[in-house]
Amino acid sequence: MNAPALAFRSVTAGYRNRSVLDGIDFEIAEGEFVSVIGPNGSGKSTMLRTATGLIRPRQGSVELFGRGVPSLKPRERAALIGVVPQKLESPMAFTVGEIVTFGRSASRSLWGIPDPKDSDAAERAMIFTNVLELKDRLFNELSAGEQQRAALAMALAQEPRIIMLDESIAHLDINHSQEVLRILMNINREEKITVLLVSHDLNLAAQVADRMLLMDGGRLVSNGSPGEVMREEQLSRVYGCELRVRRDPYGGHPVVSGTLDAQMRRPKTRMRLHVISGGGVGIELFRRLRIEGYDVTAGVLNRLDSDAEAARALDIPCALEQPFSPVGPEAYEQARLMVGQADGVVVGPVPFGSGNLVNLELAAMALAAGKPVWMASDIAGRDYTPAREAAGTAEKLRSGGAVEWSGIHELALLLQREAGARDA
Amino acid sequence: MSTAAPKRGKALALLISLPLLLAISLLLGPSGIGLPDTSTVSGQAIFSLRIGRFFMGLMVGAALSASGTVFQAILRNPLAEPYVLGVSGGAGLGAALSILVGGGLLGAVGLPVTAFVFAVVTLLVVYGIASQGGGSPSVYSLILSGVIVSAICSSFIMFLVSTADIAGMHTVVWWMLGNLQPGAPEGQLISLLFISLSIVALWLLAPALNVLTLGRDMAHYQGLDAGLVTMSSLLLATLLAATAVSMGGMIGFVGLIVPHVMRTLFGPDHRWLLPASAIGGGAFLVLCDAIARSVMPPVEIPVGVVTALCGGPFFLVILRRKMSHAWIS
Repeated sequence: MNAPALAFRSVTAGYRNRSVLDGIDFEIAEGEFVSVIGPNGSGKSTMLRTATGLIRPRQGSVELFGRGVPSLKPRERAALIGVVPQKLESPMAFTVGEIVTFGRSASRSLWGIPDPKDSDAAERAMIFTNVLELKDRLFNELSAGEQQRAALAMALAQEPRIIMLDESIAHLDINHSQEVLRILMNINREEKITVLLVSHDLNLAAQVADRMLLMDGGRLVSNGSPGEVMREEQLSRVYGCELRVRRDPYGGHPVVSGTLDAQMRRPKTRMRLHVISGGGVGIELFRRLRIEGYDVTAGVLNRLDSDAEAARALDIPCALEQPFSPVGPEAYEQARLMVGQADGVVVGPVPFGSGNLVNLELAAMALAAGKPVWMASDIAGRDYTPAREAAGTAEKLRSGGAVEWSGIHELALLLQREAGARDA
Repeated sequence: MSTAAPKRGKALALLISLPLLLAISLLLGPSGIGLPDTSTVSGQAIFSLRIGRFFMGLMVGAALSASGTVFQAILRNPLAEPYVLGVSGGAGLGAALSILVGGGLLGAVGLPVTAFVFAVVTLLVVYGIASQGGGSPSVYSLILSGVIVSAICSSFIMFLVSTADIAGMHTVVWWMLGNLQPGAPEGQLISLLFISLSIVALWLLAPALNVLTLGRDMAHYQGLDAGLVTMSSLLLATLLAATAVSMGGMIGFVGLIVPHVMRTLFGPDHRWLLPASAIGGGAFLVLCDAIARSVMPPVEIPVGVVTALCGGPFFLVILRRKMSHAWIS
């Protein structure tokens, strides 16, 4: 079996007066794409500096491809490991081509006479990172994203077997950070180069990595697949704040978010609104109503409906029916109780069929009980009941005083007016 | 990558300027403009004196300017030069001591060697103070402690001057103002050896200096022994500065501006920049010396005054136009 690309064996390391890493133990196999995450000051950068030989471990050993890092000659080390810094700074006016060629320093002859092999490696690295046409531009005149690609090209020109990135994409906008990550995934798959990405962006890290290392207070807290590491209670404990983890609906990777949604603006009068929705029209409604500070209930919704999922994620009480089933008496009763406790009912722009028509009748019931109803306009256009009963009920609602709205902003204004009237 | 052809042209122009400067140097002097009459004894003396001054200027200028180039690269700071780091101050203190106290103690070799020893000690002290926090010192703490140590050194020199006898005081003050009067031939030979060897050694380190401008960590990642390269080039640059100070006294500005001007002409690649700075520094000092000798005959102005007076405005004009091609602030 091959020696691991990088191995930390009970490593304790740090600076003169304080130790930062405390008994770190892990292995990274050749060809893996590993992300290192952890709060500020958890030791991520110190770990990287120890892996590259800038810091010698006090105890334990660090090995690159089976060889102890401190015993590697500088040139050998540079042939194994390339590092992309957080931000490469070149105070002097070197061109991109010159900077990338610096990556050949270790392999070139003593005085840096260009060798065809060196210029080939530099050119390949520039093609890979898409900076070849920037070759003659001054490095300092490039945008942040271009500079980071050039820095990556310099590291690639070393032709290393493992490449490490120290928060190298943290300050890039989403377009440029995606581009750098795409390049990294390519070199990882096509060139079989091992990648170690130290990142603050948990979601990006989880999206691209095969495996994640979670560090906290100089210790390795968790080491496993993104799903194993990105667990709600674990992240919340390490980062010291309440966090939520969901699965990305498209990629399937875990996505973490804060709980700011739960701490929204609170109006003076707390109004409870019951929302009638379905098929995805409720997601934005729920979010916006919560931000505006209303208590929200929802239903009846079918389980697995995307609105039902959104309601669950936002902790919105919800009357639920089995998937693909018409609303039955139990769920209807539950929703009726919710409407009874609500101060008003919001009807979203949901299509109505015979299965969910009862929801519209709940709104009519609320209106009859003297509660305000805000109804998305053009219900007739979304009426799929055989006898166009939804359009009829909507007409009844309108004549009974239900207010029509189109667009979520208009709804918000109408609700604020109602809340203001209640305060007065 | 910038092509080598225009650089070659500029380098050629720089080299051609040297014989021209030799001619100017031979023609100008406090004893009058024109080639000295070598058929008379005094004419011969003036002729050899002017030739001597030419070579002194060339050596001192080259040493100061090459030293400044290296300090700027290693500290990644456009303000770095031997004076700022206290190296020149230390060398000056050593030289003053050698002139006043130990005159002739070690023969002609004594002056440059004492200056070098003092300069190295100063560098170590500065480095030591700057790395108090642990680890390798930051550029800012290096420059700060350099300025402080430099001030202490010049206080010591002032103290030595004020307690010296009239003759000693005159020698030291005149030397401190900067003066390219050739000294004993043995001392000159030693200095020539120091300077040429150091410049060649630094030239061999030029590719490493290029990578070091990206910072010591990056140089480490690129497979350099960053500590070793840093230390050896600092020592070589210190040797250059100390030798220059022991030969010509405190001549300011050359080590600061010539590297900048040369960087605007040749770019930041030290394989070109270092020799260009050395030749340019030599040529600049020879020119300043020729001016110093001839503008107010029969009085000679100290060459350090001319370097600052000529160099300052020239520096500003060049920088306003081309700084972006040399150094990014």
